[in-house]
Amino acid sequence: MSSSARLLKTALSLIPTHGFTRAALAESVLALPASSQHTAPLSDTAVSALFGEGDDARRTLINAWLAEGISQMGNTPRSARQLEQSSPRPSIGDILHQRLRYNEQALQYLPEAFACLATPSSAMSIMLTPLDPVPAVKHAVKIADEACYVSGDESLQLSWYARRAALAGIYTAAELHQLASPQTAHAFLDSLLASSSNLHHSVAEVGLFGGYVMKSWQGIIRSSGVF
Amino acid sequence: MFPASRFCRQSVALRRWSCRYASTESNASPKTASFGFKTVKEEEKEDLVKNVFDSVATSYDLMNDATSFGVHRLWKDEFVSSLNPGKKRPLKCIDVAGGTGDIALRILDHAREKFADRETTVEVVDINGQMLKEGFKRFKKTMYHNTPQVSFHEANAQALPEAHFRDNTYDLYTIAFGIRNCTSIPSVLEEAYRVLKPGGTFACLEFSKVNNPLMSMLYDQYSFSVIPLLGTILAGDRESYQYLVESIRKFPPQPEFAKMIRDAGFATGKDEDGGAWVDLWGGIACIHKGVKV
Repeated sequence: MSSSARLLKTALSLIPTHGFTRAALAESVLALPASSQHTAPLSDTAVSALFGEGDDARRTLINAWLAEGISQMGNTPRSARQLEQSSPRPSIGDILHQRLRYNEQALQYLPEAFACLATPSSAMSIMLTPLDPVPAVKHAVKIADEACYVSGDESLQLSWYARRAALAGIYTAAELHQLASPQTAHAFLDSLLASSSNLHHSVAEVGLFGGYVMKSWQGIIRSSGVF
Repeated sequence: MFPASRFCRQSVALRRWSCRYASTESNASPKTASFGFKTVKEEEKEDLVKNVFDSVATSYDLMNDATSFGVHRLWKDEFVSSLNPGKKRPLKCIDVAGGTGDIALRILDHAREKFADRETTVEVVDINGQMLKEGFKRFKKTMYHNTPQVSFHEANAQALPEAHFRDNTYDLYTIAFGIRNCTSIPSVLEEAYRVLKPGGTFACLEFSKVNNPLMSMLYDQYSFSVIPLLGTILAGDRESYQYLVESIRKFPPQPEFAKMIRDAGFATGKDEDGGAWVDLWGGIACIHKGVKV
């Protein structure tokens, strides 16, 4: 691991106290192992040199924190229900709950962090699009994709996309809810997952019914002798 | 294309360095260095470079502005404002190959004007006494003259005298348009690493590689035809400007130079524009930074 990557990793542990700030990056050198510890935090110049100027350094820290969140989804423990069913993998619900729990340590700083990500870095882009929706969409899609991967989802083609889009929507809603009301976020996620699976069934039934109607029509047309 | 603003400074450095190392390596096969597109013996480069700088020194200011349309000033402004000296606390800076005081003056002005910081200091180091004299004269016109904020030292970037330039001393090491004229870039980087404090920043402004193919073609046309021509007209010296243009092309491209910085022990950002380096004007010039961690 390069020195700057090591500092970034150390800075992640300072987020609960310092937030997503340049100060967290500057103080990372004080939290290094004793052999390579510094006596003073990094200067502003050094933070810019390693992680980017101004808010770019904060974006680097936020992105590293999000990436760590994704990688921790892979360590989701299996719930009691999964153990009962002797399933080798955690369920989608377990994984998304785990991801929400990861947010808890930095919850108070998250709105600002998302605002920072959504603000374009150059003045020109701010004039064109004051809010950039791409980072928020990427964030949700990455989480949905990782959840599918960890849970061993095997959907293909259209359902591959549908599954990820649905999960991204569900997770985004739950995360927004978490920012406003952290206590009820997990219950809210459960309710969303439950209604989504109901929806999935309903859609499947509609599809089945549609197919049945089509077949009937084909039969009627064929027996009418038109073709 | 845009000739460096401190042509002269490295020439003596090269001579001293070569003398120092030539004696230890006299039995080994002769080492070579690039002189523009030619390859010459290391000990020869020193004299050749010196000749180039001697012949362009008197008109370098005029030529800098003429060939770059004054853009080198913008780059230097950008370089110093990206370092933001004085933001958190006063810095102890060393500006190597900084004879004319271009960078030093900008550092002190930035700290004073933006952060009311009169404690930041810059030691200007150059190998060429004449260039230092220019810088000294220039500083006499400013409020920094005769203050502890600025001092001038004649020394070699590749072997800074340890008695004065002690280990772990400086917060910021800058070198602008100077490193490409050194015989051994790794030795300069090693010295920078030595004198910087842990947490100190190395920052280098230098010509680099243009990556956009269209722009690169235009840039090639301009630098290989127009600059030597301007050199002939304004300075009466085509060959020296030809060398300067060629030496820019021989300088390692961004990722390679970033690797050299890391090899010297520095930490850098990711290997991309905006990470370990920042391209200016599509890579015509480039700011590289590293931190001693």
